[in-house]
Amino acid sequence: MNSNVPNSKKISPFLVFFLIHTMQSGVGILGFQRIIAKTAGYDAWMSIILTGLVVHILLWMMFKMLKIADGDITSIHTFVLGKKIGKIFSSFFILYFCLFTITVLRSYIEVVQVWMFPELRTFWFTLALLILAIYIVFGGFRTVAGIAFFSIILPFYIDVLFVVIIPYSDFTNLLPIFDHSVKELLLASRDMSFTLLGFETLLFFYPFIQNPERSKKWAHFGALFSTMLCIYLAILAFGFFPEAQLQKNTWPTLAMWKIIKLPFVERFEYIGVSNWGLVILPNICICLWCASRLAKQLFSIRQKTSVTAIAILCLIATSLISTRGQIDLLTTYTGKVGFYFNFIYVPLLFAGTLIAKKVRNREKHT
Amino acid sequence: MFNLFKNKNAEKESLDKILAKSDDYKCIDYFNQKTNVSFTLKFLTTLIDEKTVQESILPYLLEENFKEIDDAKEIIPLADIQISEDISQIEDKLFTGSVLLTVNGKENKFCFLGARKEIGRNVSLPEVEFSVIGPKESFVESLDQNLNLIRKRIPVKELIMEKLTVGTLSKTKVAILYIDGITNPENVDTVRQRIEDIEFDEITDSSYIVQIISDNQNSPFPQLLDTERPDRISAILAEGKVAIFVDGSPHALIGPTTLVEFFSSFEDYYLNWILSSFFRLIRLFAVVFSILVTPVYVATLSYHYELIPQDLMNTLVASRRAIPFPPILEALFLELTIELLREAGARLPTKVGQTIGIVGGIVIGTASVQAGLTSNILLIFIALAALASFTTPVYRIGNTIRLMRFPFLLFAELWGLLGIVVCFSFLLTHLIRLTSLGRPYLEPLYPPRMQDLKDAFIRLSFDKQRKRPFLLNTNQPNRFHKKAAKDKKDIEDE
Repeated sequence: MNSNVPNSKKISPFLVFFLIHTMQSGVGILGFQRIIAKTAGYDAWMSIILTGLVVHILLWMMFKMLKIADGDITSIHTFVLGKKIGKIFSSFFILYFCLFTITVLRSYIEVVQVWMFPELRTFWFTLALLILAIYIVFGGFRTVAGIAFFSIILPFYIDVLFVVIIPYSDFTNLLPIFDHSVKELLLASRDMSFTLLGFETLLFFYPFIQNPERSKKWAHFGALFSTMLCIYLAILAFGFFPEAQLQKNTWPTLAMWKIIKLPFVERFEYIGVSNWGLVILPNICICLWCASRLAKQLFSIRQKTSVTAIAILCLIATSLISTRGQIDLLTTYTGKVGFYFNFIYVPLLFAGTLIAKKVRNREKHT
Repeated sequence: MFNLFKNKNAEKESLDKILAKSDDYKCIDYFNQKTNVSFTLKFLTTLIDEKTVQESILPYLLEENFKEIDDAKEIIPLADIQISEDISQIEDKLFTGSVLLTVNGKENKFCFLGARKEIGRNVSLPEVEFSVIGPKESFVESLDQNLNLIRKRIPVKELIMEKLTVGTLSKTKVAILYIDGITNPENVDTVRQRIEDIEFDEITDSSYIVQIISDNQNSPFPQLLDTERPDRISAILAEGKVAIFVDGSPHALIGPTTLVEFFSSFEDYYLNWILSSFFRLIRLFAVVFSILVTPVYVATLSYHYELIPQDLMNTLVASRRAIPFPPILEALFLELTIELLREAGARLPTKVGQTIGIVGGIVIGTASVQAGLTSNILLIFIALAALASFTTPVYRIGNTIRLMRFPFLLFAELWGLLGIVVCFSFLLTHLIRLTSLGRPYLEPLYPPRMQDLKDAFIRLSFDKQRKRPFLLNTNQPNRFHKKAAKDKKDIEDE
């Protein structure tokens, strides 16, 4: 249905790894340890595995749906709900991605303001980042995928540098295991979901993958890599901080950087926070791209116009949010919306697709 | 029919009239001594070789049995003789160094005798891309001489040379070279199409062509590689790329190209692969260093002095204690000084230029430190950065790197390290979006292609270079056939 994407604009299947992983590793990864440890304590690493498993199942469902509908989420909606209602449902996702962009932008800027520049003007810095994002989106999906690729490759050294903190950690903190109830573990899994969100963008860029069948394994690898990274960072944080101290750190990952020391660099978190700009950049770009592409498909607005319009909207919204409380509220809401979309709506849609397929097959026979 | 003929005559008369205004235009009547036929020679003295006229044309026309124009071919011992009735050719031929011969009374048929005067310099040492090892010849301004150098290196019939003419005034000859059966015809078509589409009056050098046919004219990055080395051209032709030669330019162009290629010196192929890989990595490090060192200095000293360990901080503070300026002014002052020295050095004759460089570098540098205008640590950084930027083997990319530093400096002043990351992201995006003849400029980094990494940041040995670059999508992907698998020898096996 939407297979009118020219071949030269498509990306090779193996880049899906980077697209999925980059969406999952945004600002959330800087501070998820505290949130999951709140309910499940130091057993929370099991919750990460659980959430990771669910992500794999959801990815499998998405690929199945996309294959049946042969297109992106708009074609799934049309397939299941019909043209008109499908359009209404799809248009909600423009808002969803705007919300996602604003959350990512605002929480990153908060990190910068707390750790590096207390007097950084939210407006001007957002403006710079959004101009950059527009420039990237104007380059097409290949450029977006390119930024995703480099945002994993270039800051990768940071992930490795965490090894330095192992001598300062005490991994007996993790013991005893299984001292939390299943309910607590499940609740922690739900809290974990915000960090691992973002893989749903697959539903939008699927038509841009060359040979989508072969991208399946890369998408799963991407999700697996994110889960592994989260477990790695969680276990390091659990070993590094005693449980009570962890609760006092909003961004435990950042706090761990402080210990890294090189002959010419102290206070490594300055480099880390700056570098994280590159990590969150593709999140903004992919969200902007998805939102503007949806606008193009649903309302046939030129994508160049819609990107700019959405970016301006995000700019205004981001600069209006200023206090810690507001940011917290925003993050919580985005987390909730994302949770309901991914973990409830997607399975429902999956069931709907299967039913619709059966009904159509039967119609064909009769 | 009659009308047309008359028009043509009028055309010829007006040509004669315009030509007569130039003093180097000669139109002389002669009589053949045997047959008494009267004939006329017309030529431009500045373009033709008078010796040829005196020794190989006139004696035969005057003394041999010359009755009509068709006899010229038999009696004149020249290779380039053309008999024609097409008046429109006259202007073209006269201005490319031919002598026009007509028999009086039968002016509608005429003969062009090639007697072009060749003035040009000899093949000399490469000056821009000098190498210690390897061939020491470089291109000159004459197109034929340059093509001769290439034909000698690739003496096969598959080496195709297409000639085009561009420029309404300059009528510059442009040659496109490629190897049939290897080069992807798509690339050749793109090049041909873009050169044919050039709309400009005076094309004086290949640099004009680079700028006009580039994919993105608003980019500071050169999108076609230029070289003065015949060995480099023959090597890239064998890889499956397209070369463009421009008459009057000692630099040939290569496309499609990638960013990494600009950091590979052709000497890399003359050294052992381990050494050349090491040098390539050094060069890449030098580029990154050269762009980032001053911005990082400004960012750390303006915003993040906590980054620096205490011992190092003491040294830095001591060197900056007496300086009245913020780091950004200090850095800009020194950067501009270096740029001034470079510009001055480039505009002056070599020997004076060197003196200026030394005097400027040592005297201004030391004096500004002693006067307390700049810190000596920054002076060391700037000097190193300047030195590092000279390691780029291609002159054009060196200029780009010179420029790159300034936006980074501004962003560093604005938002410190964060600004550097933002600026870097802009640069990265620009590079991802850039293409050379429609092929990705950042390949093999993005799109990531393992196969092409064998000759990018490092250069692997020649037996690993069996595949032609994937980027070029060549018609014949293998450079040589793999020999039957050798048995792996054990210790002391024969």
